[in-house]
Amino acid sequence: MNQNENNFEQVKKLLKLKQHEIPPPGYFSSFSSEVILRIRAGAAAHSQSLAERLQAEAGWFHRFLGIFESRPGVVGGFATSLCLLLLITVVFADHSDVSPGSLLTVSGPVATAVDPIAPITTQQLVASVGSMGGIVASTNPVTSLQPVTTLFGQPASAALFQTASFAPAGQ
Amino acid sequence: MPETASIPDASTPAGMLEGDLVRRARNGDLNAYDELVKRYQERIYATIYHMTANHEDANDLAQDSFIKAYRALKSFKGGSSFYTWLYRIAVNKTINFLKQRRNKHHYSLNDLDFNTEHNPDLVALISDKTPHREVGLTELQKKLNEALMRLSEPHRMVVVLHDVQGQSHEEIAEIMDCNIGTVRSRLFYARQQLQGYLAEYAKST
Repeated sequence: MNQNENNFEQVKKLLKLKQHEIPPPGYFSSFSSEVILRIRAGAAAHSQSLAERLQAEAGWFHRFLGIFESRPGVVGGFATSLCLLLLITVVFADHSDVSPGSLLTVSGPVATAVDPIAPITTQQLVASVGSMGGIVASTNPVTSLQPVTTLFGQPASAALFQTASFAPAGQ
Repeated sequence: MPETASIPDASTPAGMLEGDLVRRARNGDLNAYDELVKRYQERIYATIYHMTANHEDANDLAQDSFIKAYRALKSFKGGSSFYTWLYRIAVNKTINFLKQRRNKHHYSLNDLDFNTEHNPDLVALISDKTPHREVGLTELQKKLNEALMRLSEPHRMVVVLHDVQGQSHEEIAEIMDCNIGTVRSRLFYARQQLQGYLAEYAKST
């Protein structure tokens, strides 16, 4: 270990040579100013690139404004059309007095015959089903009232059904 | 006639404390940051130079480190000293650079200063008493840099910071974000490796 330490002393002496390596004369006198210059240049480039990006993104807007600058007549036309558009909007807003309740009215035999809020009696339900020709009412409110049809499109009514009999023939 | 010692003016950046300079620089005062650069430029440059053995690379990396530190000043919470924080940026930047440039060493060594020939330890290494008296200091400098470049980046960094720059184990641990035991073991291993690479010069007399 002592031998190692002794050898390390030699290594340390050798490493002292590194301390004598010096950069070219005057190098440090301009170092800090170069750093500051690069910081300033970087900040300027950053703000410039930001301005360029904004200009690139808003290019269409600049072109749009350019049209007005080159043709003053277009300005008047554009302003007039804007006023017209505003006027039309105001007029239509005055006439659109449709009550929301009318949009919810339901037309049809059930709606006219039966008050949707009043409780429906069994007779009324049977009568309405009969008048609709095979419509099956469901207690499930989600189920739509579609006419029940057969595979071939015929409405399924009582007339199409035939009672099956298992009694021997002739009885 | 004795020279009068100039007392630094606290109202100028040169006379300000580090904390004040950092606060001003964080608010965009480039004069304050210029002063911070001047205070640490030599140490930061030297550390990077000893790691890369290339003046141009060291110049670029040192400048980049200072610029990165300026841009990141807002994130500097003051948990450590600005000096340690700056060192950490420089060390990480240098290690990343060396990893990308692995095995492509291009030496651009700085000149040795005038005092080298008057350093008794160094003179002894090339004196008649050593078996390598024909070796000049410049040749020795080249061999030493080659040996350092054979170490891994973390081992080289510990040797540079401790044996060349004179930093304490604690400071190195903080800069390299590791514990003191790791610093010590890396230093021992690195010296051992260097001893092997430079056996003909590092023999005990």
